[in-house]
Amino acid sequence: MPLLEGLSYSSDKNVIVFEIGAAYTRCGLAGEAGPRCIVPSQVKNKVTGKVEKLWDFETVDQLYENLKDFLFNLYFRHLLVNAKDRRVVICESILCPSAFRDTLAKVLFKHFEASSVLFAVGQVDCLLGLGTHTGLVVDVGYNETVVLPVYEGIPVLKALQCVPLGGKSIHKRIESQLKETGKITTGSKEEEPLSTVPDCLNEEILEDIKVRCCFVTNLQRASQIHKVTLHGEDQSKLPLPPPGVKYPLDGNRLLLVNGGVREHSCEVLFEQDNEQQSISTIILDAIINAPIDMRRDLAENIVIIGGTSMLPGFHDRLCVELYHLLKNNKYQNELSIKLFKFHKLLTKENCACWLGGAMLGALETLPSKSISRDTYLQTGKLPDWCCLSEETEEQEKATARS
Amino acid sequence: MSTFVDVNIVKYLCSCGKRHPVCRLYLCRHCLKLRCGDCVQHEVDTPYCPNCLENMPSAEAKLKKNRCSNCFDCPSCGHTLTTRATSTSVPDPEDPNKTTPKKMYYMVCGFCRWTTRDVGIQDKPVASGGWEDLENKDTKQIFSLLETYEKIAQKEKAEKERKKYVRRRSYLSYAAGMDKYGMVSVAAKRKQGNLANLSIKENEEVSFSMVKPSETVKTFDPLPESIFTEPIQLDKMSTISQRHASADFQPGESSALYPLHKHLLIRRSLRCKECEHNLSKPEFNPISIKFKIQLIALHHIPEIKIFSLPELNLKKECKVVLTLTNPSAYNCSISFLQPDPKEDNFSNAKVELPKHPIVVAQRDDAALYDDGSQGHEAFKDDPSVIAYRKSNKVGFFMKVKPQNPDEDVKLSFLLKHEYRNTAIALPSENQEPQIASLQHQVFINLGPPKKK
Ligand SMILES: [Zn+2]
Ligand SMILES: [Zn+2]
Ligand SMILES: [Zn+2]
Ligand SMILES: [Zn+2]
Repeated sequence: MPLLEGLSYSSDKNVIVFEIGAAYTRCGLAGEAGPRCIVPSQVKNKVTGKVEKLWDFETVDQLYENLKDFLFNLYFRHLLVNAKDRRVVICESILCPSAFRDTLAKVLFKHFEASSVLFAVGQVDCLLGLGTHTGLVVDVGYNETVVLPVYEGIPVLKALQCVPLGGKSIHKRIESQLKETGKITTGSKEEEPLSTVPDCLNEEILEDIKVRCCFVTNLQRASQIHKVTLHGEDQSKLPLPPPGVKYPLDGNRLLLVNGGVREHSCEVLFEQDNEQQSISTIILDAIINAPIDMRRDLAENIVIIGGTSMLPGFHDRLCVELYHLLKNNKYQNELSIKLFKFHKLLTKENCACWLGGAMLGALETLPSKSISRDTYLQTGKLPDWCCLSEETEEQEKATARS
Repeated sequence: MSTFVDVNIVKYLCSCGKRHPVCRLYLCRHCLKLRCGDCVQHEVDTPYCPNCLENMPSAEAKLKKNRCSNCFDCPSCGHTLTTRATSTSVPDPEDPNKTTPKKMYYMVCGFCRWTTRDVGIQDKPVASGGWEDLENKDTKQIFSLLETYEKIAQKEKAEKERKKYVRRRSYLSYAAGMDKYGMVSVAAKRKQGNLANLSIKENEEVSFSMVKPSETVKTFDPLPESIFTEPIQLDKMSTISQRHASADFQPGESSALYPLHKHLLIRRSLRCKECEHNLSKPEFNPISIKFKIQLIALHHIPEIKIFSLPELNLKKECKVVLTLTNPSAYNCSISFLQPDPKEDNFSNAKVELPKHPIVVAQRDDAALYDDGSQGHEAFKDDPSVIAYRKSNKVGFFMKVKPQNPDEDVKLSFLLKHEYRNTAIALPSENQEPQIASLQHQVFINLGPPKKK
């Protein structure tokens, strides 16, 4: 459609926006309000037929091959666009390992011949989707929870907090609880403990149990639960659990998921087990580590993103718990904050970073913020992202001269 | 015996250096080189709907987000929905006391029995179309934000152009480069902008104040008390893939699932990256399974298969029978060469290749139905080399001596054959097709040697 090209930057250039998350990948076109698709970040190995998760790579060569197949499918099955000479925006986590970023750049530039790639930090660019540029971004993901203060568009890196708590830790908790208390029936037969039937749980089932059965309980009940599960009080002190669920496994087996599993498993995020850290404490820690004159602005601009935060009850629990923690000695002495305010997203929590990237990609400034294929092929590597502005400025000067 | 069918046992070397089974390769008639899926250009042809087989122009497809307006998928299982007609009675417009039957339509999934009625969608008076789409109420605000950003970006770009000739590189960007993670120079960076990749503040605060930030809240709704007392019904909760299939809404309950417009597919054409000629181009009509151009290597390159495999005894000569198939319409003479041992890090067995070229008969589709008894006489075969002949196939012996007890027995050789290039010759001018000699490296994995 060469006739239509050049009318508006965003609508006709088909800039592609990828956010390759630890569990799911979002992809779509810049300038649109939501991703075209959300798919698991995994590929089926062509030779072995086994499903491999993109992030579980052993060598960068393996990652290269997997990314190639994975992106191919996104381009030609979901986006239906040619990959060659196309601009790409990548929304990545601030903690993205450079091996992953470098390999991704190599696949995009060398295999798919992208004309330019912009690497945007998801935890920063999500603020664009809210019309703000100051916020305390709480990203509750699959492998970890990251809290990053962003002040006037600049990440306050020295206050960055991270705990390895997220969707994956909930899956692990569900599994261990089911192994302890789960029962299996096959209709006619007696109930048997799950431990007698090996290998009937896999991550897909655990995720499904989490998504359809589990919730984040309220603080009052949670403190009762913690007294028993963490501090050894008597089981009778537990609040009356919610009703259990009969979860169908393959065959005609039913897995009895009791109310305790439904209510307790998400507590792994809040237990302060790991060096007294939980996703709530690191939010306050991030505020404490930010310069004093920013703290109030941050506390009044909390932005909760990431798929794991979509669990029922999550937002309320986090909010109530933050106020509760303020009464703790540690925080009482160091923080004078009285009020927290939370942003209402214009999209689902798991698409917030993608939306920011889709907005960046739609702007006329995109080329000047991106790395062009020519630059990449000349230097053979990516510039460190914090020096990016410098490099592209140089590049612009060079083009201005020529 | 399934291993004999496994295409990954015999591989050919592609011009890009990768090894693939011959059925995965293409032959560019202009470069006369093998190409594989990794080293050709994939291009999108016209999108079409896999259900109604209607082509859709790319511009329209983009507007409709690659979805067909008329066909729907089941939001519960992904199967295609079908339209059902029912009859209801409506008041007669002429006589209000009477009723007349009227046809109404709804959609149903033939696989999981989901219907549009399950989720309270009204039946429609027309058979196709008429199904309204869900509206995302936040879209408006997202686009108004984007519009403002676009204005700021335009301004910034203009500013930059203007400054380009005046500005000298400031000391500040050096400082920022060195201060990798600190906050030493927040103020400096603030001026320099750009870490957030949208340097709005560089120009003026005024612009960003045009942006209306999203609402903030102080509290959230607590969980309903019923969650602690009421049993949940699993089938009323949607699964994560059902939620993701409708990315904008991601409904948590099955009752909020809504029919999904069917996703379009495309046909791909392939282009040689070196000479830019097409290697594969499908026909325009989505119903057709034919190709305008289809240069798969199997149609042009002799194919090697394993016919029979003896016991592979270590350090003993084993006679492997390989089949050679000639796909072309001419008799083809094929010879075998040892690869350069310096470049061959694949083979680990001693191999004795046939010393003389083997002539393989042309492909004759009619002959496939004969019993294949004739034709033998035409070739004077050495029975120590040729195991059998059948139409355009030849079975020949290859003597292999396995050397390594711990690895699969692997061998490699060069296969040289003639190729009549009909692409360049013009039959109307009675031009003789150009005959080229092609050479391919073949890799065979015979599997593990016999354990003693
Ligand atoms: Zn190749
Ligand atoms: Zn259709
Ligand atoms: Zn269905
Ligand atoms: Zn070519």
